[in-house]
Amino acid sequence: MPEGTGALREVLPKQGTGGEHRPALPAQPAARSRPFSPFAGQLSVEDTAAMVLCKPKILPLKSVSLEKLEKLQRAALEAAQPPEEAPPPSAGAAPPRQ
Amino acid sequence: PSGEMGLEPLFQAWSYFRRRKFRECADVCSQLLERPPGEQELDSEYTVFQAAWNLKTRALTEVVYVDEIDMDQEGIAEMILDENAIAQVARPGTSLKLPGTSQGGGPSPAVRPVTQSGRPITGFVRPSTQSGRPSTMEQAIRTPRTALTARPITSASGGYVRLGTASMITNPDGPFINLSRLNLTKYAQKPKLAKALFEYIFHHENDVKNALDLAALATEHAQFKDWWWKVQIGKCYYRLGLYREAEKQFKSALKQQDMVDTILYLAKVYLRLDQPVTALNLFKQGLERFPGEVTLICGIARIYEEMNNISSAAEYYKDVLKQDNTHVEAIACIGSNHFYSDQPEIALRFYRRLLQMGVYNCQLFNNLGLCCFYAQQYDMTLSSFERALFLAENEEETADVWYNLGHVAVGIGDLNLAYQCFKLTLVNNNDYAEAYNNLAVLEMRKGHTEQARALLQTASSLAPHMYEPHFNVAILSEKVGDLQRSYTAAQKSEEAFPGHVDTQQLLKQLKEHFAML
Repeated sequence: MPEGTGALREVLPKQGTGGEHRPALPAQPAARSRPFSPFAGQLSVEDTAAMVLCKPKILPLKSVSLEKLEKLQRAALEAAQPPEEAPPPSAGAAPPRQ
Repeated sequence: PSGEMGLEPLFQAWSYFRRRKFRECADVCSQLLERPPGEQELDSEYTVFQAAWNLKTRALTEVVYVDEIDMDQEGIAEMILDENAIAQVARPGTSLKLPGTSQGGGPSPAVRPVTQSGRPITGFVRPSTQSGRPSTMEQAIRTPRTALTARPITSASGGYVRLGTASMITNPDGPFINLSRLNLTKYAQKPKLAKALFEYIFHHENDVKNALDLAALATEHAQFKDWWWKVQIGKCYYRLGLYREAEKQFKSALKQQDMVDTILYLAKVYLRLDQPVTALNLFKQGLERFPGEVTLICGIARIYEEMNNISSAAEYYKDVLKQDNTHVEAIACIGSNHFYSDQPEIALRFYRRLLQMGVYNCQLFNNLGLCCFYAQQYDMTLSSFERALFLAENEEETADVWYNLGHVAVGIGDLNLAYQCFKLTLVNNNDYAEAYNNLAVLEMRKGHTEQARALLQTASSLAPHMYEPHFNVAILSEKVGDLQRSYTAAQKSEEAFPGHVDTQQLLKQLKEHFAML
């Protein structure tokens, strides 16, 4: 489920190379290695709000009436689209033939 | 002369009708009707001609019949120019127009998506599901009102099927019954024919005025003792917008004959008059006379859901399930409530139940996929989504499924896949505000600030009721130092979702900053 409010960003002492995109220093025993301990040297804690994603959508199920209505609407649209051979029936006047 | 299988034609037509093969039934009836010289005058004796006429009328009506209890297409004119409101400002919890504070409400907008009126999306949608009454004309025009397209109906008589185009579907050669040449008085005196004719005029031709005339004549002929005609008159008044008159008719019908349907129609009137408490009382009284009646309990649950009282709604939906454990609406609503209350495993059980019952559509598989993923049953997730994509009937549904797949991708950390999924969402539905917002978040992670800003602008203009785009604009602007814009955006976010803690913190920070200047 979506994570809670805000993201904690701890400011840690840099390893010496600076940016995240530079390749990491190879682990070398004697000369340049500094013992890495995650919690030693913690300087400050920032509670920066992160951008929020919109939530996943549970789709509502359709009722039988709604499905029938949609089917009728689609049929009406299709019937209306090709040019009419018969004049379209309207509520009042109607073609005399039967 | 006999039809196929040597059956007497009228009996064959009747057999078709019983098996719901309405077109075949209408065709056989047409043949029967062609034999005497074609006139529409009927004598008083019961003849084969009358029987065939009656049957064909009913068959044509059944093709387009949708239960009037469910039908509730409200046009924009009715919504905005509503004269039925009793009080200017309703007390909280007594009106459907104001979603109200979520008293006993469920998950907040931080967890559950909301619709345009500030209501959480429900688990089930019917033709009459109100997406709330919009307060401005602009919002009203934006609200999709038709089932298929997003174009709004301007007034209740403007819907496609309601233009009487039903006859185009059932009878391309022209209408079966010529209403202008019909002698209603004569038909009103023959109750059996009149009832079929009324339903034809009301449902098939959508000619409420003529239907009302016929019903008025018929009820007079029955000396006002027939409850059925009173209910039909009430339905006509409802369609014409004369709600108080409709109320009178339904009440009178109830006094004569207590029927569940009449109670449902009367409740519909009260809901349209924005009197949910009256409707609730009506349902509860009805339950005393019809204990355990599923439609009444379901009606109560729907009202509570519309008033944003999710806990009471859930309680009544559970009651529905005690009476009828295959009730799709109740299962779907409870399932969605559980999902958004952080219980996807329980939601999964409910949606699996629907699958067992044989419900088989895009929405169900989408929901199953989501529940499986969040309940950590990863084996079923992708196949459910695949099935959902396969079953999607139009592009909006496909867009929804891709959007949820994007969420799954974010969940597993594959941001490239997430990016593609959200893009596919937009391909299928260019107005998908949530996808724009989520794409903006992904772009920000890559550092493309300007693109993120543009996407967020689109998202917030498409969906001003959502708080996420506004909040994200506020964060983005604050990062680059544009504090004025950040403040305005944060205010909009607060308006959309007053309970959001991060927004309030951000506003506090900005206010302190401005105070220092």
